[in-house]
Amino acid sequence: MKNKPYKRKPGDFEIRILKNGRVVMITPDETLLEVAQIVEPNSSVLPAKNGDKGKCRKLNQ
Amino acid sequence: MDYRAHREAFERENLARHALTHCNLCPRRCGVDRTAGEKGYCGLDDLVRCFREMLYSGEESELVPSHQIHFAGCNLRCEFCVVAEWNEQPYAAREMNVEDMVKKIAYRRSQGAKTLNLLGGEPAVSLHGILELLGCIDPKITVVWNSNMYYNDIVDKLMVGLADIYLADLKCGNAGCAENLLGAKDYVAVARQNILKAGKHAYVIVRHLIMPGHNECCLKPTLTWLAENIPEVKLSLRGNYIPPAEAVSAPRRYLKEEELQCAKDMAQSMGLKLIE
Repeated sequence: MKNKPYKRKPGDFEIRILKNGRVVMITPDETLLEVAQIVEPNSSVLPAKNGDKGKCRKLNQ
Repeated sequence: MDYRAHREAFERENLARHALTHCNLCPRRCGVDRTAGEKGYCGLDDLVRCFREMLYSGEESELVPSHQIHFAGCNLRCEFCVVAEWNEQPYAAREMNVEDMVKKIAYRRSQGAKTLNLLGGEPAVSLHGILELLGCIDPKITVVWNSNMYYNDIVDKLMVGLADIYLADLKCGNAGCAENLLGAKDYVAVARQNILKAGKHAYVIVRHLIMPGHNECCLKPTLTWLAENIPEVKLSLRGNYIPPAEAVSAPRRYLKEEELQCAKDMAQSMGLKLIE
């Protein structure tokens, strides 16, 4: 394990699993968006509500 | 697109290419000769590079489904950028082949794309390639200029009539935060002026990414400026801030639902028109 967080390189995708169980996909491509829809059909681009657990939410800017 | 502007697209492309010989497209005014292979702050020479094109439904509801074309390279260095890797190393992205891209645009339209969404990085630093592309596509396509609005007059002038919608990503609300978070002290002043200019010839949607803990310094001044200068503009408040893995100045947490609601309440109390 490195001490520093991994720095994304071109072509990488980053998926974060937060402490509350929320899954965050960072700028997903179409394939990851399809995966998110399958895992959680109600996934959204909005922030999770407090205490929200187990939701798969896409965040894109 | 305006048909006259569409007919002028290649002529405008030549003007944009000429500007690259002593690049002054953005306020960085690097002055490098990008046509000779020199690279400025944006990391680009005169090759236009794209790192993704996709159909996306997460933009503002009136724009979707939107065909996004992501151009690599940017004139800002936002600490919280979610595509920083493509902006720091734009040469890692493929060179855009105009002919192929025109086919992809037609394909995405057949899939239901309502708009063609030009974004980055920052599209302004790839202006010449974008003008060439726009000259090759059906002028009936609704073009969205999805920009940080940090560019010089030449960009606004050459895009008149070609972009139907300016999706202006107005970040920060003061020079100090802009310097610390974006690496551009003059960003707020430049972007605001460009939004006013865009409003004279196109439909504008202002988007503001809410930064956790930046209510008084960024959110409030931004909303106040909008309410005082363009109260009729459509405003999209974005709550999808993603804290960077490593941060010096950027907030290190996600936005809370109640913070987003508070921001929306503030905007509505100022009479601003919110859209989702």
